[in-house]
Amino acid sequence: MSDRAIAWLFTAPTLILLLFINIYPLIWSVYLSFTNYKANRRGVEIAWVGLKWYKKILTDEDVWANLQVTAHFLFWTILLQGLIGLSLALLLNKKFKGHEVFTTIVVLPMMLSPAVVGVFWTYIYQPQAGIFNYIINFFHDFGEFSMIADVSLAPWSIIIVDTWIWSPFVMLLCLAGLRSIPDYLYEAAEVDRASKWQQFIHITLPSVLPFLMLAILFRGIENFKMFDMVNELTGGGPGSVTELASIHLKRAAFEKWRTGYSSAFAVILFVTVFGAGNIYVKFLNRIKEK
Amino acid sequence: MSHSLDTSRSPLEPSSRSKKIAAVLIILYVLITIIPLLLIVMTAFKSVPDAITYPPKLIFKPSLEGFVNLFTQRTRQPKAYLESLPPAATWYEKIVRKRQMVIAGPSRFFHRFVNSIAIGFGSTFFSVFLGTLAAYGFSRFRIPAKDDLLFFILSTRMFPPIAAAVPIFLMYRTLGLNDTYLGMITLYTVVNLSLSVWLLKGFIDEIPKEYEEAAMVDGYSRLSAFFKVILPEAAAGIAATAIFCLIFAWNEYAFAILLTFREAQTLPPFIPTIIGEGGLDWPAISAATMIFLLPVVVFTILLRKHLLRGITFGAVRR
Repeated sequence: MSDRAIAWLFTAPTLILLLFINIYPLIWSVYLSFTNYKANRRGVEIAWVGLKWYKKILTDEDVWANLQVTAHFLFWTILLQGLIGLSLALLLNKKFKGHEVFTTIVVLPMMLSPAVVGVFWTYIYQPQAGIFNYIINFFHDFGEFSMIADVSLAPWSIIIVDTWIWSPFVMLLCLAGLRSIPDYLYEAAEVDRASKWQQFIHITLPSVLPFLMLAILFRGIENFKMFDMVNELTGGGPGSVTELASIHLKRAAFEKWRTGYSSAFAVILFVTVFGAGNIYVKFLNRIKEK
Repeated sequence: MSHSLDTSRSPLEPSSRSKKIAAVLIILYVLITIIPLLLIVMTAFKSVPDAITYPPKLIFKPSLEGFVNLFTQRTRQPKAYLESLPPAATWYEKIVRKRQMVIAGPSRFFHRFVNSIAIGFGSTFFSVFLGTLAAYGFSRFRIPAKDDLLFFILSTRMFPPIAAAVPIFLMYRTLGLNDTYLGMITLYTVVNLSLSVWLLKGFIDEIPKEYEEAAMVDGYSRLSAFFKVILPEAAAGIAATAIFCLIFAWNEYAFAILLTFREAQTLPPFIPTIIGEGGLDWPAISAATMIFLLPVVVFTILLRKHLLRGITFGAVRR
């Protein structure tokens, strides 16, 4: 067989499968977003409704509320995970005895199924039998409270669990950044009698920054799509205070069966993620060039 | 150069004091972050009343009630009926009888477990198989618009699963693939393909081209060079990729909860539905969670050298 034939033979199955399962549904979504189709009413003729759903979504106050919930979740998870992840990486980079074993233990929550872990956190958050409330009340007695049922606490309940799961992810990336710094930079700094603090500001931080940004990019995209953990932990409630974009989409698509509307919402989400991701990557490349 | 300068260690090596502080802080973090995991194991061995007492019990009499509840379906019976039965023959019947119940049959847990294994391993096999071929193709050959194609493969990951689920649900309904092994294995294969191609391309890029060129000079065809030279060289990378795909498929929840109901339902959507009398049966859920998480913990330990690469799609290699 010629190399050319092998090249196509090897890559074609993957590309065809992706086209069939990823691109075809995407195009279909775009089409459905202009129609009044409802997946639970089959046999009804599909009518073209134009931009109706897009107009509705962009002017709907509930949707803006969802996006605010998503933004709140994104802001705090990224901030907390960035801080905790970077700190953990700096600490583990001290290479104390047993640091490799500890790295593996720290990473564990990240590898477990967020949905299954999310269910278990409803037990941890129980007002009476839950260990979370018990520990909080041990330090300061707030009496009985429910992280999940309380409107002002529920958004924090998902932020805490997400941070617990994903801080190790940021840590791993920052650790890679720290290990990529060549020794001679510090040696030169020592010769120049730069203080440890100066070394940290001028060598460590700039070297880690691209890795930290990459971690934030990954976390931003992933949390914008967040569904599994939150769906099991709060299900979007109470009311809709933890109804992230994906949860809103699931409710519209699979509970209210508003297929046209939810397809339009899906398209908007996709364009947002894709656009934000692209802008961010450009920004990241500029930092790397410096 | 002053004489007092400490030359016993390199200035780059952290001082033993800063090492100690770092170790203490990390241990503190580990102690806090491991609480939920320890609690899962503890609760799995609690009896149902012990699991819901206030304050939470740290010391308790271990019980296998959770495991028994997980694997069986039970019905409550009147006392008179229970007394008319012959004494419980097995240890698990004894546990059930204590709660005034009898075992009505096996639960659905085992079936869901088998589903998870079949769909997890099935999809892993195909995504690694197709991914290895595609990765080799992209690594070694000139393919028009190669970078665009690779970016396209990666971008399929950016689509929120819930957004993809709507059209896939409709497509699968037309094809009769909802709630089937075939449908779920196909879907998970595709979901993992992007990861598999990107990771494996990284691993294969690291194998020098000269290896197979030398083999081809020795008379091997391109295909046999691929099988006899590249595959053995990439074996460790392929194994790591397979474990990543398996973990993702094993943990996947969004598609599973929307596209499977009975026949092909996997563990993640099933575990939250384990209920006992008057609510969720926490010991049984914990037992299920423990059984579900254990393989992943083992895999994570096996994978620790490749973790970074796996979670960043090969973008960062260390």
